[in-house]
Amino acid sequence: MLLFRSEDDVRAWCEQRRTTPGAIFDLARLWHLARTWYDDRLDLNWRRRTIPERQAILDAVGLDGPFWRLTIP
Amino acid sequence: MIRDAEVRLWIYQHFVDIGRAPAPIEIAARFRLTPTEVELILRRLQSEADALVLIPGSPYIWMAEPFSAVPTSFLVRSGDREWWGNCIWDALAILALLRIDGSVSTACPQSGQALHLTVTKQSLVHAPWVVHFAVPARDWWRDIGFT
Repeated sequence: MLLFRSEDDVRAWCEQRRTTPGAIFDLARLWHLARTWYDDRLDLNWRRRTIPERQAILDAVGLDGPFWRLTIP
Repeated sequence: MIRDAEVRLWIYQHFVDIGRAPAPIEIAARFRLTPTEVELILRRLQSEADALVLIPGSPYIWMAEPFSAVPTSFLVRSGDREWWGNCIWDALAILALLRIDGSVSTACPQSGQALHLTVTKQSLVHAPWVVHFAVPARDWWRDIGFT
């Protein structure tokens, strides 16, 4: 996951690599995701979240659609 | 009996306090374990708990998400403390996890322009730049280094 100056830069970067852009979104949404995804990492009894738990976080941040599915339907 | 969870948390606290991963020998000294015992714990934390990533072919820690043990393009600063994030998501997550204000310094991979983010009062100061996820979510852990 990289930070670009603009969407034009993302497209140019992908063209140079002969690949199509993945998902592009703004920093406010990433900040929301950053605040929730790792919030239990300093708990002694941390465990890896299940796929449904992780999917729920992505959904709550508004990252929905096929790109954000953790499992293939 | 040292629980893997205690070692995992100590590794994280080491990242938080010092900004780098502990070497296996440091973990061994802290918990009075042999290097072999430490390596077994680290391998369990990687393969069973999915709690960290080791440098391939070694017992050395590469990532304990969101922290990176090696320098990356995502430098996180708060006061005189510094950490490396594995990606822009992880870099912001370090400030969020520690509930501190600070900054993330990176650069646009295409233009080379320096991009500097600031978190103040646990809010991200607006910046117009965009995040690009190249890998679909279902493939994130297939090659975590690439992701």
